[in-house]
Amino acid sequence: MAYSYDEGASYALDGLSLEIGRGQRVALMGANGSGKSTFFLCCTGICKPQRGALYLDGEPVAYDKKSLLRLRSRVGIVFQDPDNQLFSASVYQEISFGPLNLGLSEETVRQEVEAVIDRLEIAPFRHKPTHALSGGQKKRVSIADILVMHPDLILLDEPTAALDPKHTKIVNHLIDEMTAAGITVVLSTHDVDFAYGWADQVVLFHQGRVLTQGPPQQVLRSSQALALTNLEPPAVVGLFERLCRRGVLDPSLPCPRDMDQLEDYLVGRDD
Amino acid sequence: MISIDKLCYNSRLRYENAGEKFAFAMVTLCICVASRSIAVACIVLAVTGILTTWKGGIPVLRYLKAMTVPLTFLFLSTFAIMFNIRRVPLDLFALPIGSWYLTASRSAFLYSVQLILTALSAVSCLYFLSFTTPMPDILEVLRKMHCPRLLSELMLLTYRFIFILLDTASAISVSQDCRLGNRDYRTSVRSFGLLGSVLMIRATARSGKLYTAMEARCYDDTIRVLSESRPPRRGVIAAIILFDAGLLSLAVWRKFFA
Repeated sequence: MAYSYDEGASYALDGLSLEIGRGQRVALMGANGSGKSTFFLCCTGICKPQRGALYLDGEPVAYDKKSLLRLRSRVGIVFQDPDNQLFSASVYQEISFGPLNLGLSEETVRQEVEAVIDRLEIAPFRHKPTHALSGGQKKRVSIADILVMHPDLILLDEPTAALDPKHTKIVNHLIDEMTAAGITVVLSTHDVDFAYGWADQVVLFHQGRVLTQGPPQQVLRSSQALALTNLEPPAVVGLFERLCRRGVLDPSLPCPRDMDQLEDYLVGRDD
Repeated sequence: MISIDKLCYNSRLRYENAGEKFAFAMVTLCICVASRSIAVACIVLAVTGILTTWKGGIPVLRYLKAMTVPLTFLFLSTFAIMFNIRRVPLDLFALPIGSWYLTASRSAFLYSVQLILTALSAVSCLYFLSFTTPMPDILEVLRKMHCPRLLSELMLLTYRFIFILLDTASAISVSQDCRLGNRDYRTSVRSFGLLGSVLMIRATARSGKLYTAMEARCYDDTIRVLSESRPPRRGVIAAIILFDAGLLSLAVWRKFFA
């Protein structure tokens, strides 16, 4: 697909083609302005690609009101800046907005909202106004906004940008829970270490196009692709390669997935 | 105004049913304004003051400070009513200025006192509401009273945006300060103008993004939200009715029989 914000003068998406499988964990990576956020907006039908089409379950998505509502009830998006997403001063109102739009009854919505407040541990600040919440708390509310709608696919635009390590951990844990609940998760991130350990598929964006895609061990080791997308190789890969060059480790070993596996190589356990 | 907003979220009366508080404030306010009686105004001032500070836990000093805001306006405006410049002195006092007198009559004085107290007590009713009830709760009451949807939705978004824009404005002004943007009168006027224009642009961009985010959650031009509300309590309703009925009878008695 191709999408231009300025009627063809420049393209934010320029011949992008990507397939996302059900239940996958996909990390979109790429330099600032490489089209990740625009791609997300296209995925929820907010932006309609000028060329190309969006397919859901193999069917092309139509852009009439009804089809869009159906698409958006299945594909949820958590925006990068919670202040652009939270429209109400009350946490409870904010979370109840989505499910009410799905046409659920008031009774059901109240149960759903309570459930998600419990699950995301929002209870300690549920009675605070949204403008008095910290960045991490706002993020949790904005994720609750979407989770409460039970989408099949969640798009997270740089979910841990500007969060402290503790909240990063909380959000990453939430993302793991989403996958466990059978939700397909697509997120954009600049954190190569996280993407390397977490993703099934890493997609590198470059100038509105997919540069490479594949398992992280493959994509995040290609130094040429990484350089093009302003990324550094993951710490564990860097260390593994240095140790191979020094002759400490055997280069024929499969690239370790995380620090634990590298540690196992070093102490000589290869199970 | 922002400090009132912060305080009301900590009020001990915050979780009382918003409808009760709204009804109490509005009915009492109407009685105050309609009766124009010093006695009624004093009672209302005392009761709302006690409710807000003692029951609600708002610091007394903060409350009094908030009360002085309308007081200044009231004093200034009643001066004009009270004082006259005449050739003949009136009964309360008279200061000779040449062949004229700066003078006031007893009735005008009473009238001004009554005016100030009535206005102040009306304000105290509204303060009671805003010191104990967060904006979203008030909006919920308005919605239940079938206030036009356009209006209540607009208020909901406006309230949220006040804080977003305030944050943006303070961030911009800090960054201007850091780059000596307020060095002298000239630069500060320029900086303020720039701040205004940038804020306008940011507000437009923000509202666009907010709309996008709402659209992504199946927004269809109606903001439907649920609120948490505590059920009204019979005792409280009875107390409100009793108080307002008493107040009304006092007002009627003062007006027609006293």
